[in-house]
Formats: sequence, structure tokens, C-alpha cells
Amino acid sequence: MPLIRKPPSAADEKSTASESAVLDALARGNDDERWAAARVAADFPDSVPAIADALRRERSAVVRKALFSALARIASPQSVEAVLPFLRSDDALARTEACDTLIAMKEAAWPSVAALLRDPDADVRILACSLARDMPRDSAVSLCCELLDSEPEINVCAGAVEVLAEIGEAAALPALERCAQRFGDAPFLAFSIQMAIDRVRSQPSVSRA
Amino acid sequence: MIFTETKRYYVERRVVDRMTVTGTTGFEPYFARLRADMDGEIEQFVNTFTINETYFYREEHQLTCLTSELLADRLKTKPRGQPIRIWSVPCSTGEEPYSIALWLLENWQHVDEHDIEIVGSDIDTDAIASARAGVYGKRALMRLPRPVVDRYFVPTGVDTWQIVSDLRDSVHFTRVNIVDRVETRAHGQFDVIFCRNVLIYFDDLSRRTAAENLFENLYPGGFICLGHTESMSRISPLFDVAWFADAIVYRRPSR
Repeated sequence: MPLIRKPPSAADEKSTASESAVLDALARGNDDERWAAARVAADFPDSVPAIADALRRERSAVVRKALFSALARIASPQSVEAVLPFLRSDDALARTEACDTLIAMKEAAWPSVAALLRDPDADVRILACSLARDMPRDSAVSLCCELLDSEPEINVCAGAVEVLAEIGEAAALPALERCAQRFGDAPFLAFSIQMAIDRVRSQPSVSRA
Repeated sequence: MIFTETKRYYVERRVVDRMTVTGTTGFEPYFARLRADMDGEIEQFVNTFTINETYFYREEHQLTCLTSELLADRLKTKPRGQPIRIWSVPCSTGEEPYSIALWLLENWQHVDEHDIEIVGSDIDTDAIASARAGVYGKRALMRLPRPVVDRYFVPTGVDTWQIVSDLRDSVHFTRVNIVDRVETRAHGQFDVIFCRNVLIYFDDLSRRTAAENLFENLYPGGFICLGHTESMSRISPLFDVAWFADAIVYRRPSR
């Protein structure tokens, strides 16, 4: 039979790289070395500033992905702060990766969401709506309703409406209706809001931790 | 793994099962037992949550793709003499890695020209023990042609068959948690990984960690096959989509 059976080819490996070696590889290594360093960087939570520096310099999409993942695994207030600037990046992929990273950070990222929903940049506010979606239901609904009452940009409102369509509860209905009135001349938003209202009304109340 | 509110009953039933098996009288003492990992309870607890229902030649189009496209592609750049390595993870009770072996023996004309190493791995140690035993019921064999069953299985009871020992001895089974980088790296690099219907059970962070681990477990240019409802594009931009006549799979870019 041509099928062969061997024990796994690599030896059982423990992460033995020192923090200084990892940081050095992040700063000066080739693509493979930077990737390998980024993958173990989360073992050193104090290395957040170095990871953030590396992220700003990094041109390889693959290594950058691993650096974002390292920050996601550390999931500290410092690592959240390191990711936030990328929500304003000119690079659409970096913005998406930053948003995905913050979503993966869960609780660690939630304290930033309220401020992001008030950010001067409408694109950041739209991404913040995505972050609100995974927060505890009461907080998410409250933040999205506040936004609907004051948000001047129709696309940001649409982002919040989409979240409320998924997780909304009866308390969200007045804010949805007020928003529909405020943007009465925008048929697409009126349609989205009506769909959200219908969904909220049709769903049994489910508690969300 | 992530269980939403709709899975509450599923979780409750398994916790109650473990409380019954361990003879604990309430949730608090059971939780204490679990936290202390008394008598290896964490492993037993994990085992109850894994889903082991599968059958031979499941998602056959990917096996067709393996022999019609993927292996030929890998051999174009693979150094001569280096074995072809295929990883089935999670392998559950062994149907998938044995299916790969059977499929290659039955359907790949170059099978005798290469050394082929098949590894099956799972986090569930009970499933791995079953895989090593290689005994299956009628339902698991329902998609196999009768001549294949006759050639590679021996009846062991009423509606049970065991895979022949040559085949059992040719697949290496290991325990692995695909979210654990040290554990996955210890398995080395593969030409093709079958990782079907597991990433959908992970939360965002575990999913991206698993995707990065699997990326490292592929040779540059190697392929990963996911379940038909899964899309790596939504999980990680590390992989390229590879479109073939029989299947859409994902590929670690070549250097």
C-alpha cells in the first residue's frame, strides 16, 4: 500500500522566543521572520507599543493580519488604543481589519464604541455601528437610538438601523420612527426603518447577556 | 466554540449528562469539579460537545477535486521524493481520513508512484479512539460502492464493519486543538488540509487564530478544503480562492 504512516514531522515545539528576539524580528526580520514574530507577539502583552509601531510600518498584508491578531489576542485597553487609528486609514483593507480586530476583542473594545459613534469622521461612525452589534443588547440598543436622534449623515443612520433590525427591542421603536420622520425624503432609509420596525415587532423579547 | 441562546438546551443537556456520569448532585459541585479538572473532566466535557456524526465519501466533489486537480497541482512544484501530506482536521471518528485513503486507492492512477501520508486529528479523544478502532455502522457506509466495502472492510457483527488493518495502520491519528498554535505547528506542513464544518462553531478570535494556524500548516501553494457552507474569505484574507471544476477551495499563496 502506497500510504505511509509517520509520526508528525515536526518536534513538539514550545514557544521559547524571548521578547527581545520577537521585537527585533518584528523590526528587522524578513517577511517570514516578521510573520513568525507577529504570531508569538501576543505572548508578550507589554509589547503592544512595538506591535503598533510594526503595524504602522508593515507593508505585507499577511504579516499585518498577524499583527492585528496579536493585538486582538492581547485585548487590553492599550491594544484597543493601538488598533483605533487604523479605523481612519486610507487603506480600505486596513480599516476593515481594524474593525474586525475590535469586534474580536469583544469586551475590551466596548468602552470605545460610544466615542466612536460621535467621531467627526462619518466612515468611522459607520464602522462603530458594526462594533455596537456585538455589545450587550441593552447597551447596543441605547447607543444606536441615541445616534438615530442626532446623526446628520443618512448612511450612518442606515448602519444603526441595520443593527437595530437585528437586535432591536420595543424600546427602539420611538427612535426608529423619529429617524424616519427626520429623513422623510429618503425612500431607502424609510424602507430600512420600516423593515427594522416590522422585525422588532415580530420578534419575541429575548434577553441578551 | 460559541453557543448562542438558541443552543441553551443543547448545552444544558450535556452538562446534565456529565453531572449524571460523574455523580455530582448539583451544578455548583460539578462546576467546581470542572474548574479543578478533577479526573480529566475538562477533556470529557469537551468530548460531549463535539459533533461526531459523519459518513464515508461525504462531500465527494472535494475528493474528486483532490484527485482531478489538487494533487497534480502540488506535484508540479513539490520536490521529488517528498511525501504528499494530507491532513483531516477535525477527523471525528475517522470517516474522513479513511475516505481520503480509499478514494486515493480507488481513483488516483498515480497512487503507487508516491508516498502519501494521511494524518487525522481531533480534539475529542473518544472520537480518536473510535477512529483508530475503525468500526462503522451501516449509515456511515451508505455512500460507499459495495465493491469498495468488500475490498476494504470486514464484517464484525450485525450491520457493523471494520476497516482492514492495512488501512487502519496507514492513517496516523493525533489529538489537536486547532486554536492552539503550539499543537498545530507540531504537526508540520501539509499539501492539502480538509477542515470541514468546524470553523463555523468558533467565535471571531478563535476562528482567525485557527485560520492563521492552518495557514502555517500548509506548504506555500497548498490547499485547504472547507465545508460547503463555509467561506475562508469571510474568515481570513490570508488565503486565495482557487476555483476548480469540482470544488471551490482555498490556497496558501506560493512565494
